[in-house]
Amino acid sequence: MRPEHWLFTIPLRLRSLFRWAQADQELDDELRDHLERKTNEYIAKGMAPEEARRRARLDLGGIEQTKEKCREARRVNWIQDFVQDLHFGLRMLRKSPGFAAAAVLTLALGIGANTAIFSYIDAWFIKPLPFPHPDRLVIFETQDKKHGWTSGGVTSAADFFDFQKQNTSFEETVAWTVSNFNLTSDGSPELVEGGRVSCNYFDALAAKPILGRTFTSEDDRSGAPHVVVLSGGLWQGRYAGDPKIIGRSISIGGEAYTVVGVMPGTFQFPLMGVANLWTPLALTDQQRTDRGNVWSPAFGRLKPGVTLEQARAETATFFAHLSKEFPQTNTNLTWLVSSMTDRIRTEEGGPEVTICFAIVGLVLLIACANVANLMLARAASRTKEFAVRGALGATGRRLARQLLTESMLLFLLGGVGGLLFGLWGMRWIESQIPGHIRAYIVNYGHVDLDFTTLAFTAGITLSCGLTFGLAPAFGSSRLDVNRTLKEASSQASGSSQSARMRRIFVAAEIALAAVVLISATLLVKSFIISVRSSPGFNPANAMVAQLTLPRTKYTQDSQVRNFSEEALARIRTLPGVASASVASYVPFGGFGRGIEFEVVGRPLQPGERQGAPFTAVSRDYFSTMQIGLVKGRFFDSTDAYGSPTSVVVGQTMAGQLWPDEDPIGKKLQLGEQRTLGTIVGVVNDVKIYDLRQRRSWHIYVPMAQFPSRNLAYAVRTAGDATTMDTAIRDAIWSVDRDQPVSSAPMTTLIATVDAGNRVVARLMVFFGTLAMFLGAIGIYGVMAHLVSQKIHEIGIRMALGASPAQVMCMVISQGLKLVLIGVGAGVLVALGATRSLATMLYQVAPSDPLTFIAVPVLFAFVALVACYVPARRGMRVDPLVALRYE
Amino acid sequence: MSKPLDLVQGTLDMLLLKILAVEPMNGFAVSQRLKQVSGDVLHVSDGSLYPALHKLEQEGWITAEWKTSEYGRRAKYYSLTRHGRLQLEKEADNWGRLSSAISRVIKLKEA
Repeated sequence: MRPEHWLFTIPLRLRSLFRWAQADQELDDELRDHLERKTNEYIAKGMAPEEARRRARLDLGGIEQTKEKCREARRVNWIQDFVQDLHFGLRMLRKSPGFAAAAVLTLALGIGANTAIFSYIDAWFIKPLPFPHPDRLVIFETQDKKHGWTSGGVTSAADFFDFQKQNTSFEETVAWTVSNFNLTSDGSPELVEGGRVSCNYFDALAAKPILGRTFTSEDDRSGAPHVVVLSGGLWQGRYAGDPKIIGRSISIGGEAYTVVGVMPGTFQFPLMGVANLWTPLALTDQQRTDRGNVWSPAFGRLKPGVTLEQARAETATFFAHLSKEFPQTNTNLTWLVSSMTDRIRTEEGGPEVTICFAIVGLVLLIACANVANLMLARAASRTKEFAVRGALGATGRRLARQLLTESMLLFLLGGVGGLLFGLWGMRWIESQIPGHIRAYIVNYGHVDLDFTTLAFTAGITLSCGLTFGLAPAFGSSRLDVNRTLKEASSQASGSSQSARMRRIFVAAEIALAAVVLISATLLVKSFIISVRSSPGFNPANAMVAQLTLPRTKYTQDSQVRNFSEEALARIRTLPGVASASVASYVPFGGFGRGIEFEVVGRPLQPGERQGAPFTAVSRDYFSTMQIGLVKGRFFDSTDAYGSPTSVVVGQTMAGQLWPDEDPIGKKLQLGEQRTLGTIVGVVNDVKIYDLRQRRSWHIYVPMAQFPSRNLAYAVRTAGDATTMDTAIRDAIWSVDRDQPVSSAPMTTLIATVDAGNRVVARLMVFFGTLAMFLGAIGIYGVMAHLVSQKIHEIGIRMALGASPAQVMCMVISQGLKLVLIGVGAGVLVALGATRSLATMLYQVAPSDPLTFIAVPVLFAFVALVACYVPARRGMRVDPLVALRYE
Repeated sequence: MSKPLDLVQGTLDMLLLKILAVEPMNGFAVSQRLKQVSGDVLHVSDGSLYPALHKLEQEGWITAEWKTSEYGRRAKYYSLTRHGRLQLEKEADNWGRLSSAISRVIKLKEA
């Protein structure tokens, strides 16, 4: 259409929009005028006046219909209709607040749950990692091509620096490790986690400091002046946001470090976790040229334009070359290069978030089916209203549009409620995640009701509204006006088609709810099993106090030994302490150490490595932790400094290394010094970092023979462990006031590690309950409607002698059929669907028989109760009243 | 008299424009005139006449005016606008070409 034509017609449209009452009046006048003339014409032809008037009307083909067609010719009509529909819809909702509240609440719960979970999906899978050009970031891992194992660290420091110098694919290659730092100046000593990093760490992540600078290669030399970069959090907290912090000297582990920079509070590296400060690696030449030991984790940034495949090819060639050059250390070893984004997404909670998202998606479908059902029921009971409107000239399309407007109104209200509920849900999930693991969450701090999430919420609201709102609209647009009006009964039932649609909806809803319930139950059961499973020691009434002695102050092993024994002795004398021990590491206490070893008499192949987690423990460690002895003996006073090294190993390790022999008396060579140790005992396996951990190896040695600067005091208390917190810390401080001590009950340490799973389990309980509740409401709604429609039939049956019990049976058997079909289909779907949960389940099979029997039975029972309520109403029908109702 | 022909889709607009091009008149008169000039061959029901007139009015091709009719009542009189005249020329032109093309086809001599 020509633009000037538009200019011309717009005022016309506006007129019909804003002065539609006048336009309508004019239309009325015009047609009346026409009728009058036509009638006169017929009369002039000799027709009787009555007949003439009738013919004139017939010619016009129904005044109201013609009027409606004329209104439609005014193109802006739909806006008016919409406003009218909106008015009408709001009035209808206000007239039935119960229905409106139930529908809006259901939708708000469904949409809100999706909004909350989606904000995490967004953070994990949609938002890029919070670094510029994240697609160019890759991580390196060691792979043993012969034995198939991979390790998070790179092959060795020497390999790393050779690769850094010689490769052509990478702009930056960075090595990093996590470490604990003792902050001893400025207030009470504090043990904080931080990172030791290559000087180009921040450059590779393209992160800029908010104050000062990051590291230069000058800082990264051994013997260079100590420098430190602080995190925004530490700067704001411990240093109160001191604007003059740059250049200030702070004491870390007794040494002076100059603060050169402060990073923004939002900077985080999900693989590193919480980092409060960073220092350069500053390796010695000897450390840089070590090719024999697996080294720290590393990542790289590809040069622009270099593909992952090119980088992989170059890396493979480089390591093929190295293994020829250094067969002693590098045989079979290579680096794997993988996208950092992919790795973070698949490893750090990604599967859990995805499962939650799938579950809430199902919950939303259930909620929508429920609301569609409510709307269908209402549409069915409004059939007569629609028939009258149809007779008055409303077209089928027009009626459908009005119904669609009404349902969209419900969905939009639900969407708004959903946003509020979703916002609350996000905050709730956030509050459930302990600070300790927050830093591992991808894009943590960027989880918010941002544009993507808002768009998602709007999208699901509209698409669900359209999809499920169309169902009742379709039913009513096919209405047969004549038939409906002839059905004089005020119980005018909806078409059998709409009734069938409702039954399908309910059966599908029940099936979905069964799938959700079964999946949720499996996950919750797995969580409960893992929480109840024994970690291999008794965590109740146990307190842990950890500290790291600085190398600068405690230079000699004897000093370390004296400190650890003195502090232990003082803790032991505290009232309320049942027993106390010290170890280099306690389970769930942070990062432990591993040690490489060789069994005497079974030499390893070149390049082959064998290792296990390694803990140096004091004599009463096993008895304090209540770790059971399987064979041989615990350490005792004979395992003192200077006597031959004794070793205690875990049960699985002993069983796998010596399946048919007695492990007691076997000899191991431990670590780089190849210290010879004799196995004197075998103890229970202990989980050290995760309750879902599979059985792993473990090596214990006496602390007297292996002094450790990492000290973890495990204290068994007579009463509540938490009350001993300060007393234990004071006992340690009475030996050295400068050492920061972090202490926590053992149960808290375990709970922290399990926090992510706990959040998932709680969400599952919530979603499972919600699904069951919605399913029950769905079946209740359908049955209640069924009974109200069949009142007449029930009345006849009772008049003919049916007993109330028989009526009840009739109603319940109808409901039962739907429930059984739904639950049956749900179980079948769940059998297939839960297989995808396998990796997340701990000691629960994806087709766990108990779950697959108990949940459907429970659900069927709940659904039956939901049928029972309307059935009882049917039973109480008074035949006289029901029949007179005709 | 043979049965009145149904109108070819889309030609009603053109006919109405043409009738109103002669003189402004009200809806009833339009229906009378249509029957008259087409010799009762074209039949347009009153039920579809008014929606068609309203559509033309919305398009801006005709405009309406309320006058007092011979019965002393307010009656709506339609008249052609400048845009309507252009539209009529365009449609008449199209129609001429279409109908002459069809006639040529119909008049083909059968071999």
